[in-house]
Amino acid sequence: MVPSAAPPSPPAALPQGDHGRHAIPAAHDQHGTFGTAIRSTPGRMTTTLTVLFLVVLAFGLLAVTGAAQRRSATDHVRASSGPLTVQAEILYRSMSDADATAATAFLSAGAEPPALRSRYLDDIAAAGSALVAASTGDIADRDALGQISTELPVYTGLVETARADNRLGLPLGAAYLREASALMRSTLLPSADTLYRAQAARLESDRDDAAGSPWIAIPLGIIVLIGLISAQRTLARRTRRVVNPGLLAATILVIGALGCLTVSWAVAQGHLGTARDTGSSKVEAFSTARIAVLRARADEALTLVARGSGGAYEKDFGAATATLTGSGGRLAAAQSGANATERADAGAAGKDLARWQSVHTAIRHADDGGRYPDAVALAIGSGPDDSPATFASLDADLGRGIDAANTAFDHEAGLAASAQNGIDIAAGVLVGLALIGLSVGFQRRIAEYR
Amino acid sequence: MSGNQSTHRAVAALGIAAALLAGCASTAVPPPLANASAAPVHPDGVMDPAAAATAATGATVSCGNPVASLRPSGTLPAPGHMPAGSTMASIAAKGHLIVGVDQNTYLFGYRDPASGQIVGFDIDIAHAIAQAIFGDPNKIQFVAITAAQRIPYVVDKQVDLVADTMTINCDRRQQVDFSTVYYNAGQSVLVRKTSKATGIGDLGGQKVCAAAGSTSIVAIAAAKSHPIPVSVNDWTDCLVLLQQDQVAAISTDDTILRGLAAQDPDTKLVGGTFTSEPYGLAISPKAADFVRFVNGVLEQMRTDGQWKAIYERWLGSPAPAPPPATYRD
Repeated sequence: MVPSAAPPSPPAALPQGDHGRHAIPAAHDQHGTFGTAIRSTPGRMTTTLTVLFLVVLAFGLLAVTGAAQRRSATDHVRASSGPLTVQAEILYRSMSDADATAATAFLSAGAEPPALRSRYLDDIAAAGSALVAASTGDIADRDALGQISTELPVYTGLVETARADNRLGLPLGAAYLREASALMRSTLLPSADTLYRAQAARLESDRDDAAGSPWIAIPLGIIVLIGLISAQRTLARRTRRVVNPGLLAATILVIGALGCLTVSWAVAQGHLGTARDTGSSKVEAFSTARIAVLRARADEALTLVARGSGGAYEKDFGAATATLTGSGGRLAAAQSGANATERADAGAAGKDLARWQSVHTAIRHADDGGRYPDAVALAIGSGPDDSPATFASLDADLGRGIDAANTAFDHEAGLAASAQNGIDIAAGVLVGLALIGLSVGFQRRIAEYR
Repeated sequence: MSGNQSTHRAVAALGIAAALLAGCASTAVPPPLANASAAPVHPDGVMDPAAAATAATGATVSCGNPVASLRPSGTLPAPGHMPAGSTMASIAAKGHLIVGVDQNTYLFGYRDPASGQIVGFDIDIAHAIAQAIFGDPNKIQFVAITAAQRIPYVVDKQVDLVADTMTINCDRRQQVDFSTVYYNAGQSVLVRKTSKATGIGDLGGQKVCAAAGSTSIVAIAAAKSHPIPVSVNDWTDCLVLLQQDQVAAISTDDTILRGLAAQDPDTKLVGGTFTSEPYGLAISPKAADFVRFVNGVLEQMRTDGQWKAIYERWLGSPAPAPPPATYRD
């Protein structure tokens, strides 16, 4: 019988300074406890490997899920909240414009101008299709939407009754028009405002989600790096080999994953911040300005329809236009921090507002001085210095501002999405490879003890 | 070794699956809105029930004969030659007569949609006064006011006079002066053709509409059958409420009601008149000379057939005799 082979000698690289705890080869120690096995060098290496593996795995999972969530939030902003906010703005603005157009058309004694009639019909159609678009999405305030869709047909019915009575020469028509305008101002427009604000707030919170920082993953990644580096240093001391290729590879891969995460987050956050500053916040500034001028335009027409008893409408005109000008006004808000196109549009709007206000002053002067036909001629005339033309260029400036802001938002959100593109896969792959490198690096060392 | 690698793969796969699931959003269809029913719509400024009318005070104020006005002083000055220092001279200096009118009272003061001008019985009376001052009936500016604004506008001198189906009574005489009576009206009731009411007495507990600040709303509140008064800003708003089935009747002067009935063939006047409503032009009490001047113009119109022509233009022929003037001096 061949005697059992001599026990393998301890590895030559075993450091002398091993404080009394020398490796007891597992093959020898058939009766060793688990605790002894753990305390042995390969046991400690295995423990370190397990711990590091779990931490790197946790880092990888957090990095991947966080990146995927942020990417999906950005997609949600681009595909859902962003477009729904646009629809809410279209709904609000087209109903306001319908109110102003119906009142202006009413002023035209006799036949209603076809251009105003078709503008009114287009506004109602735009409001209707915005309602449909908003209701098929995940809109922020369904109750407001429901209220608008039940009351809008009532409004159009009242406007048509006013037109029919006006055609018959009955003063009753003006009463129905005033009732329609009161319905618009007391119910429909406030609901549209509530809807717009709720939707804009949701857009803002979705944007915040998309721009959120990986505030667990990155510190965890740094801890992982510290762990890997200190493990390599310990191993270098123990095994007298400076470089452990597996661990080194793992460290480089983790640095790569961290870098990917950080750079992608920083770039995406920058773009999403710009999307807010030149995009969604400018849309809000321009569209609230536009609502205010539309309200003022309706007030101008209704003061003339009311023919002397419309003092309340004229006061409202003053209040609405006062919110636009001045350093705290909406036009100033549209200009601060905006891009060049938006600043140009806001500046043009400021000039056109001044021109329109001077036409309005002339209208009031004529009406208050007893020259009602002159006032109406200024209010509905087709000359370049009459109210419709000056108002139209003001409205067009603000409309261009809204378009510029929407374009800026889409552009920046698209850039943010491409910065986040594939980061989750990249992080997953890098961390997966790092896990492999980590395991391989440790196993090589542990195997030397067997 | 291979065991570790397969563990790695399994865990990585789980991680990616978790990430994918986290991105899934729910796509459930939202439920339909509950309780979608039409909310009633009404004109701006409707008060239902009406605020306790101000004329609850002073129905007992006595002032002798309220319709007695100031006698015209001799012959009328020629147009364009008003006595210096008189109210008429200052009106002439302004260049136009400012008159408070209604724009919603069909036949008496309303804006003709075709021409854009305010026309009516009261308007023609006002044109005649402008003609007497300037020689030109069109030197006039109309300010459309609500029933509640008639007295404040005269008192504040925002208008020279008010020609707005205004009943002369002692309460109002405390604040403004009136010309002689230029039309005799009376309060009546307008209901839908299908209504079975025959007068204000049948409308107990039902909603009856009138303009805020008018004598009509006071009369409704005081009626023995206790209808519920509903007030609005303008008379046509009452017709809107009637057409929308939100009130059962409108009660005011028969003149205004005839104008409303002319705009809606589905209505009828019932019950005759149950009050007497003499109409006068409201003028500031400080302008006594202007009151005399206006009374002179009205007297001329009674005698030279102009009143009859205006009546027949708006209210049909044959015209009755014009209401006689009563003077207190």
